Amino acid sequence: MGAVTDDEVIRKRLLIDGDGAGDDRRINLLVKSFIKWCNSGSQEEGYTQYQRMLSTLSQCEFSMGKTLLVYDMNLREMENYEKIYKDIENSIAAAHEKISECKKQILQAKRIRKNRQEYDALAKVIQHHPDRHETLKQLEALGKELQHLSHIKENVEDKLELRRKQFHVLLSTIHELQQTLENDEKLSEAEESQETQIETETKQ
Amino acid sequence: MAAPIRAGPEAAPPPLPVPGGVKRSRQLLHMSVLSLSASPCGRYLAAGNNYGEIAVFSLSAALSAEAKEESKRPIGVFQAHPGPVYSLASSERLLLSAGDGEVKGWAWNELGKKGTRELWTRRPPCRTSLEVPEINSLQLNPRDNCVVLAGGDGAVRVLDMESGSFTHELRGHRDLVHCLALRDLPPHVLSGGEDGTVRLWDLRSGTQVQVIEVHKYEECSRPNHGKWIRCLATDSDWMVCGGGPALTLWHLRSVTPTTVFPLPPRQHHALFHQDLVLAGGPGPALHQLQLSGELRGRVPCTPPALRCLCLSPRPPEHQVLTVAGNSPKIDVFTNLGYRAFSLCFT
Repeated sequence: MGAVTDDEVIRKRLLIDGDGAGDDRRINLLVKSFIKWCNSGSQEEGYTQYQRMLSTLSQCEFSMGKTLLVYDMNLREMENYEKIYKDIENSIAAAHEKISECKKQILQAKRIRKNRQEYDALAKVIQHHPDRHETLKQLEALGKELQHLSHIKENVEDKLELRRKQFHVLLSTIHELQQTLENDEKLSEAEESQETQIETETKQ
Repeated sequence: MAAPIRAGPEAAPPPLPVPGGVKRSRQLLHMSVLSLSASPCGRYLAAGNNYGEIAVFSLSAALSAEAKEESKRPIGVFQAHPGPVYSLASSERLLLSAGDGEVKGWAWNELGKKGTRELWTRRPPCRTSLEVPEINSLQLNPRDNCVVLAGGDGAVRVLDMESGSFTHELRGHRDLVHCLALRDLPPHVLSGGEDGTVRLWDLRSGTQVQVIEVHKYEECSRPNHGKWIRCLATDSDWMVCGGGPALTLWHLRSVTPTTVFPLPPRQHHALFHQDLVLAGGPGPALHQLQLSGELRGRVPCTPPALRCLCLSPRPPEHQVLTVAGNSPKIDVFTNLGYRAFSLCFT
């Protein structure tokens, strides 16, 4: 188990700070200088070494703080990207829906256009025929004329009848007169012949 | 030192090997795909050609993101009829194919496997056995569960799917019938034929409801091309028909031709789709027309002449249009503006 953890540790260390420059080296130096300071003699040197060790420590702390901040930043960036990703997915889904809506609308619009064109086609045919009001008016005028003319015809026929009757009366009177005249003539002829007969009889 | 530049013509890439050798590649040169039908789930496409073969393509594989060259080839080809397959139609579980005087039904879930056999065959009665009339058009009527077919002898026949017998025989056309269309309300069948008339039949009473003589209307008739009607499509109140006369939009209630579409003559097939009319004919292009008569687009396609158009019955946002004609290639349009890719017969 020690070997495994060692391997892990070595791998991790190599990954993070493989070349040996930077934080790892600083920590090693700190440890070495600490040991040196413990074994140092004079007061002044010890003090300067102590100051130096403190500064190394603070440098180490500073870099650690920096890495922690970077880690935080990465986490927040990830969250941000997740949010953007979700937003984009939602808008893609919305766009799909809009597209299908629009397609339905296109179909509807095509139907409307078809109806309009059918209407136009029929309207063109209808336009060829004359206007209904005009034809009605013409019909009315013609009807009135017909009535008027038939009225006149009736009048004329009545007059004709009347004249015919009058002529009939006239002719029949003329005939009667002729008859009476002829009768009269016959009568007078008969009387004359009777008279001549009596005369010839008396003469003999 | 630079490599010496080769001075001769570049070597062409070797052609893909065609199974079946030289004979098959010659057949492919002369092949026309006459009919198309998509499966009700929208994942497969069946195509029938003039040699009587039906090829099944997997549309879902070809449309998916990882489509390769392989997915543009059929998953199965089988010989369906001895003569050309003029018309295909799909019901929920069956694929119906019509050839020379016979209608065969195939099950969709067995079409991809080897050695498919038809579930049933029906032959409409014909007068002599020498002259078997071809069946030009099949339409499936899901409401009454029957199939309406019409063909070379000029009679429109109704085959009942449950009993398997021919219930009605509607006679009236004086020549052969090219195309059929079904109308929802009122429930009529429209048939267009070589004699230049479009006749409306009522299926319940089995009588002819109306006759429209298209070539007698001056706006659309083109006497130098003839009076035959080749393509019909209907949208309950409106009808599009064309052929010898120009492709025209008719209002069925008042039987008036409203718009004449400015297309080159002899359109083979027309469809109503959303607010457009799609038409294909002898030019290598799919025409998209608005109902007002404007040509909205002319999309070039691989076949030099288009014979059939088919819309797959998926939800309207993902609908796919397939067109085919005088070529072993079938064009697939995911967006009507351009050709996405082509499927190919092998």
